Amino acid sequence: MTATERTLRAGIRGRPLIDGLVRLLGPSKVIGEHPEDLLIYEYDGAVDTATPDAVVLPDDTADVAALARFCHEHGVPIVPRGAGTGLSGGAIPVEGGVVVSFARMSRILEMDVANRRAVVQPGLINLHLSTAAAPHNLHFVPDPSSQKACTLGGNVAENSGGPHTLAYGVTTNHVTGLEIVLSDGTIVRLGGKAEDGEGYDLIGAFVGSEGTLGLVTEITVKLTPLPEDKRTILAAFPTMDQASASVSAIIASGLVPAAIELMDQLATQAVEAAVGAGYPLDAGGILLCEVDGLRDGLDELASRIEAICRENGATTLRRAQTVLEREKLWAGRKGAFAAMGRLAPAYYVQDGVIPRTRLPDVLRTVSEVSKRHGLRIANVFHAGDGNLHPLVLFSDMRELERVHEAGLEILTACVEAGGSLTGEHGVGMEKNCYMPLQFRAEDLALMRRVKTAFDPADLANPGKIFPTPSRCREFQLHATR
Amino acid sequence: MSLDRNETATVERLRPADARTCADILRRAGEARQTVRVRGGGTKEYLGDPRPTDLVLETTSLGGIVEHVPADLTVTVGAGTRFRELEDALARAGQMLALDPPHADAATIGGIVAANSSGFRRARYGGVRDLLIGTRCALVDGTVASAGGRVVKNVAGYDVNKLLIGSFGTLAVITECTFKVTPLPVATAGLRARFRRAADAYAAADLVARTPARPAALAIDGRARDAWELVVLAEGEPAAVDRAIAIAADAASARGRAERGDVTAALTALRELPASADGVLVRASLPPAAQTAFAEAAMRLEGFMRLVSDAASGIVRVEVRGDDDVLVAAADSLLADARVCGGSARVERRPDRLRARVEAWGDGDVPGLFLMRRLKDAFDPNGILEPGRSVVS
Ligand SMILES: Cc1cc2nc3c(=O)[nH]c(=O)nc-3n(C[C@H](O)[C@H](O)[C@H](O)COP(=O)(O)OP(=O)(O)OC[C@H]3O[C@@H](n4cnc5c(N)ncnc54)[C@H](O)[C@@H]3O)c2cc1C
Repeated sequence: MTATERTLRAGIRGRPLIDGLVRLLGPSKVIGEHPEDLLIYEYDGAVDTATPDAVVLPDDTADVAALARFCHEHGVPIVPRGAGTGLSGGAIPVEGGVVVSFARMSRILEMDVANRRAVVQPGLINLHLSTAAAPHNLHFVPDPSSQKACTLGGNVAENSGGPHTLAYGVTTNHVTGLEIVLSDGTIVRLGGKAEDGEGYDLIGAFVGSEGTLGLVTEITVKLTPLPEDKRTILAAFPTMDQASASVSAIIASGLVPAAIELMDQLATQAVEAAVGAGYPLDAGGILLCEVDGLRDGLDELASRIEAICRENGATTLRRAQTVLEREKLWAGRKGAFAAMGRLAPAYYVQDGVIPRTRLPDVLRTVSEVSKRHGLRIANVFHAGDGNLHPLVLFSDMRELERVHEAGLEILTACVEAGGSLTGEHGVGMEKNCYMPLQFRAEDLALMRRVKTAFDPADLANPGKIFPTPSRCREFQLHATR
Repeated sequence: MSLDRNETATVERLRPADARTCADILRRAGEARQTVRVRGGGTKEYLGDPRPTDLVLETTSLGGIVEHVPADLTVTVGAGTRFRELEDALARAGQMLALDPPHADAATIGGIVAANSSGFRRARYGGVRDLLIGTRCALVDGTVASAGGRVVKNVAGYDVNKLLIGSFGTLAVITECTFKVTPLPVATAGLRARFRRAADAYAAADLVARTPARPAALAIDGRARDAWELVVLAEGEPAAVDRAIAIAADAASARGRAERGDVTAALTALRELPASADGVLVRASLPPAAQTAFAEAAMRLEGFMRLVSDAASGIVRVEVRGDDDVLVAAADSLLADARVCGGSARVERRPDRLRARVEAWGDGDVPGLFLMRRLKDAFDPNGILEPGRSVVS
């Protein structure tokens, strides 16, 4: 991993910071006495690293508020952290400061079955919530592939999605209440268990703000009835072109499946080696499609999807016959990123979005980028909503510049196709310099107004989302050339 | 209406033809410290506590479909477009914007977004906040800015769209919106069930909401203490629609009398509540399970006329009629009850003569209000946009 050059802020650091934090919260909640203890907090799921000046493990909202007041008074940046699975460097203290780990705030506070809501702490692991809700026939819809590790706080901060958010909505569609702590230590409760509130939708603005508007300390989410049944289809195609044409055809036909995921041959090879999900290795593209809900009519829907796939050249069509078979198909998809280790020591995952009709041509661009840079790129992604995840494989940190260049070319193609720089992984410190590709100065100024209202001191996760003069200068030169 | 000043000739009415002109108007108004009302179809003029303004900016010239790519299931449309017009255009492509707002003939897209106006269909498809993916707006500093985009998934930067939804024109003038659209349902079916007790109607609705039936409407209509009706609409694939209605019939039959049939007209009538501007109309948003207690308190109020609720989403509207004291007491009581139930409420309609006695938001104690005020200051520092329209301004 590359140690990113930190743009340090004024404010206290070192001994005075550690001593001050220990006085404030006690030694059991502060890490930093021994600098080597900080090392595990210097990276997340992406490729950049930076060492925090200290790490704090709060027990409750009061701890978080006290910490924020202290940091505010001393001009210290405050960087929230969930499980560190983020893929855009969101939890990396690029401007120094205190990392707040929510590992000790991981409880379900209330399972409110009558209202179909759960009130949880931000450190709760995503899957634990759905596991706890299942006996009530309910679940939390957003199911990122990292759901065994990532936290609800991280999901809220990134507005995370997952395979099943195609039909049922991403995190923002499932949050009704938040308790947040602003960077000056003010505790604010927003919403609750009702769907609408009076005044502006601050919850809507906060979800997806990547820790830059404040810290989430409590979350109220909607729980959704579990589907009665599902049909899961695997379709294998000779080429990715045919597979992506099928996706467009399914969407255009008026069907709204619960999930449509695509995977290319390179990804399939890795997944098969790691998980043994039973995907055909000779296919150029593999499509996973699921319909769910009431049992009635599901077979008919599945048949229509299969027919569309067949018309588009599918050579293998398989419908999961048992729960186990379905779970294996999904295990392959959800384990895909982790499986990349079978192909190369490192990968860099991109997260562009395109209008669904542009899938075939943008995927061709991705493969041209791969050839041009001599880098292998695997594709495994949420095809139903046009959310690409090209995984650029590499083995040596010296290749990183080339890897970034390839990533940027792909993102540029996505934006030029009318899409977005990121569909679910966030901007973080990885794409903040690219924001002007997608947004004009006026558009960014609109976001700035929001930032200023929540965090006038710019201490909440600084150096993220917005282009920073110091780190983006090089990119701007590059872009204007 | 108390907005009479706006009806007189001294009020300047402007009808910009594009976002740029709109922003220029706002900039000049800001420099001159002139207040501005934003008017689409004029179907929601009674909402909030609006005060007369120097200018009225009409959005009706900002109309028309900008881009509709059926295969992408997205549409971009000018804010002044009438909902009905968009609905018809989409229907020709076999699609729909899955909102069913009241006053669909006259209401404009911009007004629907600004007022966060939704109907019963949010039970299945979500409300404005779940369907809007991009906006363009004109700001008082004379800039035109965009939020979001035209793709269905997008987390690049803050979701400023969300702030504009329900902002009632107090932050910026929305000039263009992009939505996710949905294929028209293949099948539709309805069910009406009558109950003697509010609790039974809500219990039946709750049973349905707990299944994966995902009805397209789960509406409750209360006309008297002992006259409650549940109206269920199912949309989707034929087999699933049949089954959803069967589930609803089952849920209802234990306590009431259920009857299948077309519910389109019934739902339209419920959406348009109320016809008269005489009484008080309170809109509450509640945790779903709190609706029964709220309804039982509401039906005991002196002057209670009618209660309509989107039982799946916890949105409840109560109409009360009577003399002034009755209206004031009922409004106070409903606002307080909503809060006790863990929700919030506002007075959507009251006779003009009661504007001083019945505050639209009660004591206006809304969580996070200080942050909302900061946002208002950041967008509209001189407070020229829609004074009094929202609890924030
Ligand atoms: C193998 C793998 C698969 C993945 N699959 C998906 C996927 O399918 N869909 C998807 O959307 N993402 C996916 N991700 C990305 C990642 O898991 C999500 O972004 C996740 O929500 C991050 O959660 P986390 O707890 O790890 O957060 P972290 O990585 O710790 O932090 C992420 C961001 O959230 C902020 N944050 C964390 N907690 C709080 C808090 N309490 N208050 C305020 N801000 C906070 C941090 O500052 C940071 O900016 C995947 C990642 C991996 C490694």
